[in-house]
Amino acid sequence: MVHSVGIVTSGGPGAESEAGTRPAGSTSFERRGHVAALIAHRHRRPGGRVYTALRWGGVLIFVAVVVSLVVSLVWQAAPAFRHSGFSFIFSGTWDPDTEKFGAGVFIVDTLLTTGLGLLMAIPVGIATAVALSEFLPRRLAGPLSTAIDLLAAVPSIVVGLWALLILVPVFERDVEPFLQKIPLVRHLFTGEDLGTGILLASVVLAVMMLPTMVALTRVALRGVSVADREAALALGGTQWQVVRRAVIPGARSGIEAAITLAMGRALGEAIAVSLVIGGGVSLPHSLLDTGTTLGSAVVNFFSESSGIQRSAVIGLVVVLLAFTAVANIGGQLLIRPRRSRGYERAEPEEVAPTGEGAPA
Amino acid sequence: MTLTSEPSTHDPSELLSPASVERRRDVVRQASRSSLRRRRLLGNATRAVCYVALCIALVPLAALVGYTVDRGVQGLSWGFFTQVPAPYGVPGGGIANAIVGTLIIVGLAAVMAIPVGLAVALFLVERRGRVAAAIRFVADVMSGIPSIAIGIYAYALIVVPLGPSGYAGITGSFALAVLMVPIIVRADEVAMRAVPDDLWDAALALGARRSRVARSVVLRNALPGIVTGNLLGVARAVGETAPLLFTIFGSQFLETNPFKPMQAMPLTIYTDGTQADAHLQSVAWATALVLLVFVLVLSIGARTIASYATRHAR
Amino acid sequence: MQTITESDPSGGSRGHRRVLGLVKVAAVLAAAALITAACGSSSPSATKKSSNKNASASTTTTTSAAASTTTSTTATTAKPATATVKAATATTTTAKPATPTNAAASTPGGSLSTGLTSTPSAALTGIGSSSIVPFYGKALYEYHAANSAVTVNYSGSGSGPGVTAIEQNTASFGQSETPMTAAQLAASKGPVLQVPVDLGGVSLSYHLSGVAGGLKLNGPVLAQIYLRQITTWNDPAIAALNPGVNLPNENIIPVFRTDTSGPGYDVDQYLIDTSTAWTSAIGTTSPSTTWPTAGRASGDTGEDLNAGVATYIQETEGAIGYVEYSYALQANFTNAAVANPAGAYVTPSVGTIANAGAQAASLSATNFNIINAAGAQAYPLANFSWALVYQKQASTNTGIVLGKLFQWIITTAQGYSSGLGYAPLPANAVAVAHQTLLGLETSSGSPIFTN
Repeated sequence: MVHSVGIVTSGGPGAESEAGTRPAGSTSFERRGHVAALIAHRHRRPGGRVYTALRWGGVLIFVAVVVSLVVSLVWQAAPAFRHSGFSFIFSGTWDPDTEKFGAGVFIVDTLLTTGLGLLMAIPVGIATAVALSEFLPRRLAGPLSTAIDLLAAVPSIVVGLWALLILVPVFERDVEPFLQKIPLVRHLFTGEDLGTGILLASVVLAVMMLPTMVALTRVALRGVSVADREAALALGGTQWQVVRRAVIPGARSGIEAAITLAMGRALGEAIAVSLVIGGGVSLPHSLLDTGTTLGSAVVNFFSESSGIQRSAVIGLVVVLLAFTAVANIGGQLLIRPRRSRGYERAEPEEVAPTGEGAPA
Repeated sequence: MTLTSEPSTHDPSELLSPASVERRRDVVRQASRSSLRRRRLLGNATRAVCYVALCIALVPLAALVGYTVDRGVQGLSWGFFTQVPAPYGVPGGGIANAIVGTLIIVGLAAVMAIPVGLAVALFLVERRGRVAAAIRFVADVMSGIPSIAIGIYAYALIVVPLGPSGYAGITGSFALAVLMVPIIVRADEVAMRAVPDDLWDAALALGARRSRVARSVVLRNALPGIVTGNLLGVARAVGETAPLLFTIFGSQFLETNPFKPMQAMPLTIYTDGTQADAHLQSVAWATALVLLVFVLVLSIGARTIASYATRHAR
Repeated sequence: MQTITESDPSGGSRGHRRVLGLVKVAAVLAAAALITAACGSSSPSATKKSSNKNASASTTTTTSAAASTTTSTTATTAKPATATVKAATATTTTAKPATPTNAAASTPGGSLSTGLTSTPSAALTGIGSSSIVPFYGKALYEYHAANSAVTVNYSGSGSGPGVTAIEQNTASFGQSETPMTAAQLAASKGPVLQVPVDLGGVSLSYHLSGVAGGLKLNGPVLAQIYLRQITTWNDPAIAALNPGVNLPNENIIPVFRTDTSGPGYDVDQYLIDTSTAWTSAIGTTSPSTTWPTAGRASGDTGEDLNAGVATYIQETEGAIGYVEYSYALQANFTNAAVANPAGAYVTPSVGTIANAGAQAASLSATNFNIINAAGAQAYPLANFSWALVYQKQASTNTGIVLGKLFQWIITTAQGYSSGLGYAPLPANAVAVAHQTLLGLETSSGSPIFTN
């Protein structure tokens, strides 16, 4: 991406450098439009009308689709919400036969798998990003970071296939018995070695979150201003001290944004998780238990549901939407304030087109 | 390291005496040396930890690609690309229906999504204010929406009213387009904002209509970035399964009419990969390999265009 | 915030502004229409649309290459229905005497107007049971090879989705391992014909290296396994049934179906019939297509569809689960020998499944249970699979194609059954199926086929 270092949004401080009178509050672009109109003496812009109409058409199509998506899902879910009330969120009973629909277990499993995945992905991701951007020589860091970015583009169905056919036997034969032998920790891993389960789902989510974490953290680290680094060096810090004391704290909001965006992606992951999580519908007592997340519940239950049950399944979609929206909004809010600071930083939008893979 | 051995007098000349300076220098030197040793040690330890983390991060990548290539290559053959699946129990066959299906479905999705994405991006670049900010916010949040929700939305919008004929390739294209638009909007907007203000101003000052400005100046200069964004959107759409699950239905036959049920590669992987049949699993691995190569080629192509543009930027 | 055109000081752009405004209004209306369509179509109460509305939708989409077919089937030709060429070889229906007003066709498929010499073209979608996927995959492939104008796509997403698809009319036909319940029939948009199209069995497959196939299991032991009261393979209860077999000291991992399933229903019915521990644990004596999971210690795992269970069993040492026999055959599983009412321990095979199917004397959609069928060598876990079609077909074309398709399936396609692990339909089942197919009607209520 081509970015001039500095403020790119129009109407920023750069525009103020122009002298002269201008209407208060208008932007550089519209101002220039005024000027152009006055200069050109042209009032008819037939091409402009078509263009504007097309442009508005595109925007309205987009807005209509977004609104209809939210409205249609909420509309379809409304009967179930009315039927179950607040117990839809808090109750742990999901029984279509008695028409009791409670998403409690699914919410717990979703938070558990995502949380565990984050626990694995965050330290590894940050440390990897630090290694790639601070410690490794440029020649090595370039291809390796490209490789990790490309991992983000791997479709989640491929990750799911690999997890189902390769990881499940490995977990069932080797990993889970091993974990059950470690003292202290093994109390988290009671129960049968099934291979499938919450642990494997968390690992799969961690694998999918890792490239996002690494890429966004690298951007955040690169964005720390040169001045901060040099100050730390001048104070006599070693390379590590510079990183720990100056760079990481400076990149903190970027790292927080990375975490929330990675979390948003993990929350929405349905296909890969449904293949390896085992389909249990009771609260987990151990990390080796099977479970069902919101996404995998939708994959499993949607086709065969009808009537109030289908409405309840779509209610699960709505709950999932709410979770991912909160995570995404949080991430966006964390990224945005950086723009208004005057530091010379890499633009956060730079990460937008790294092409995150497909959370199916 | 305290300096209690220092004289407590506040006589400056005393402090500046060579002996006193030497003493202080010694103290600092000693302190810094041991501190340096400790800091270096910690630094090396941290560096080792980071390298270990790097290796840990690379392991799943290597395992994923390695297994996919290893098991996928075994299933590849010329017939794999040109034949439709063989019925149950019959060896051979291929995924021609899935490849053609993916190309048609994603192609139609791109045709739907790219113009809309471009229009919204132009809107966001040219307008300021609450409306534009709101739309940008919506686009950013939409880019993170779970794709299963989009699939269910497409199902409710198209399949339920139309009945059996709602299952069609184009329904899947619609769902994928909904997925692609936010990605394309963000990337296009970034690319267009990168066009220096001077170019906008000059064109407008010369009296050009906004459409003309958009066409000649912005698009021409932002084209690499726009193409990159579109390619990344397509790369993302190619690999999606959830939007297709409830919309395109799947078919074992080669279908080129987008208004009929079709097959797509992610769907083949999903249905065949979960079977306990060795032949079908091998088909799934091979399809995964083909899909992986597809997506990687698109992503690498996008990056190449982006870096080419950066290197040859004005 | 103004656009250039609107900031224009001159008044000559008023006309342009009006046009622009109209364009915007039109776009807003279109958006509103889109939203209303989304809401209207998606509210659950709206799914009970009148069948006429759906009828008009589906009529326009099925292409018909044939000349317009008369809805009445009183053709005067004596030419046999030609599209049943393949059916002629394996018909088991009694030939009706030829009358001048009905086309003399000893093979079912009906009499159609003289102008029709081949099956009309159509693209059909079927949704339903995954147990029949191997059979349908082969049969529909061959049918398309023989009738290139007809494409039938089948999605084996489960019996539950199949029933739902019929209730909501989102598929041309559904497929379920158990016939629809009264409630499901009431929720549908019209009378539904249920046609038995194949006869399959449910195997209890296990993965135990070192143990050959044919491990003997009976109802009580199986119930205890699934209730997690027996947790290791070398439990005395299992050993008692299998003297001389070297059972390893491994954990048993029972696998069940998380989705609505026919095999689950069959095993549930079998355990209800044979084990009091089971009925008291699940608290009911009526079987359910949803596997009862309440009230036992964890250690079992749920999988989706036959394929999911089969994949898990294949990957996991010590696992046991129920899958359609065709899947077990494909995957070379070792299958348990299940106790039947005659006291024999029978492994699933085409022959033993056929023996069970032969016991269905008066088969119908309300009398379909052949679990625990009598007979010395009858496999106790067999069932018929049921195709679900609306009696009143909105498009006569679709009705004709459906009728001919299923007629072909219950006759010619049965030749593919044994190779895939299904037993061919017994004669009485074919007769029941054929009679049911004759019930297909046009939207105005006249029968599509005569015999």
